[in-house]
Amino acid sequence: MPKKPIIICVTGGKGGTGKTFVAVNLAIMFKNNGNEVLLIDGDVENPNTFLLMGAQLENKKEVPYFVPKIIEEKCNKCGLCAKNCVAHALLHIENSFPIPMLTVCTGCKLCYKICPEEAIEADSKVMGWIYNTQINNISLFIGELKPSEARSATIVEALMEDLDEIIRNEPEKFDIIILDTAPGAHCDVELLISKADIVIPVTEPTKFGEIDLTRIIELIDLIKKDYRTIVNRSSLLGFRDEFLKNLKENNIHILGDIPFDEDIVSSYCQGLPLMDQSNKFKHTKGYKAFQIIFKELDNWLKSKQIEITG
Amino acid sequence: MVILAVPTFGTGGLNELLNPRFGRCDSFTFITIEKGNIKEVRTVSNSASGAMGGAGIQAAQIVGNNGAKELVAGFLGPNAAQSLSALNIKIYQAPNQQVTVKQCIELYLQGKLLEMNSANVGAHYGMGPGMGGGRGMGRGAGRGMGRRDQF
Repeated sequence: MPKKPIIICVTGGKGGTGKTFVAVNLAIMFKNNGNEVLLIDGDVENPNTFLLMGAQLENKKEVPYFVPKIIEEKCNKCGLCAKNCVAHALLHIENSFPIPMLTVCTGCKLCYKICPEEAIEADSKVMGWIYNTQINNISLFIGELKPSEARSATIVEALMEDLDEIIRNEPEKFDIIILDTAPGAHCDVELLISKADIVIPVTEPTKFGEIDLTRIIELIDLIKKDYRTIVNRSSLLGFRDEFLKNLKENNIHILGDIPFDEDIVSSYCQGLPLMDQSNKFKHTKGYKAFQIIFKELDNWLKSKQIEITG
Repeated sequence: MVILAVPTFGTGGLNELLNPRFGRCDSFTFITIEKGNIKEVRTVSNSASGAMGGAGIQAAQIVGNNGAKELVAGFLGPNAAQSLSALNIKIYQAPNQQVTVKQCIELYLQGKLLEMNSANVGAHYGMGPGMGGGRGMGRGAGRGMGRRDQF
């Protein structure tokens, strides 16, 4: 069987728990171990993995989105398009040309397909962009939703198409692919989780963290994926032991925890990844915690391997 | 001659009350006015009243298909405002108190109704049963209308 990259999705429900921090540093650790790594930033409303990695947004590619354009020379004003538009995005008055209402158009192309006069042209607008860059031997795909647009899933879908293409055409190019998701348990997140072999939700020891974690685990279970949780800033509020115990009691799988460490904040603020080979942060609590987590992750992947082959 | 559309309760008509919800009113009453007099009254039920979404657009379509060039409206959502604007339908703000269609027409003929230039409530405002008291129909709370060039 040809080699296939292992796909790890870092998610977490709540915003600001450290998803991007974990995703970026996992990518760096895998790279340090000699793996070819691709990191995909699927938080398309706030893409900022590149900031943490000190990369530039390069090789910008537009993500187009279908919009109907009425060719008045061909249109016989029959109104079939408007009658069948589920979103009611075509306004049609008898004996006049239909008017596209683009704010409600879902881009389904039904009007384009059914027009008997072929009077609807598949026009497009820019929904956002995909960037493709490289930094310190890590490949980076970044999706960005155009501000003011609502259909973020379109950008995530475009990212996933690029991912599928790589797996199809160059299955051996990458050993590890890490997907960083947006907060929440919505369709963008679902799209990314469903591509993953394993899922790592990142949470924090607060009530918000706990509730949002429960929601994201519900989603992960629905998609039937294997997950293990990282508790970030675990030492922050003095609830570490209680929080971890609580998770265990609720049968939530735990990968490990990262204590609150000012050096992590410092690395974050400077855009210097904690686990970078510069080793600037090598003696910090965060670095050590991350090493333990990486070891646990390695064991987890090995155990999965056994399950798959055995 | 001008045809004025009024969103109404029940089956509509001159003695029926004006319905402040545009997209989700029960019916529309169309009044043809010629030289300051009511010439004809027609009622059409609003098939969009229970729509999942896009009620404003569909209701605007009904108004347009019935030849109305002017409309009196209470609450107008952004899609409705945009649709009516695309159809060049002039919109008047409904009076601040409950009125029948007949009273509304009188105010209209006296030139006492104000023109409205944009949506005054957010999307899905008129959805669901009962929408609370909310009589303060302030202006300018909605998003801009007019066709933004998005091609």
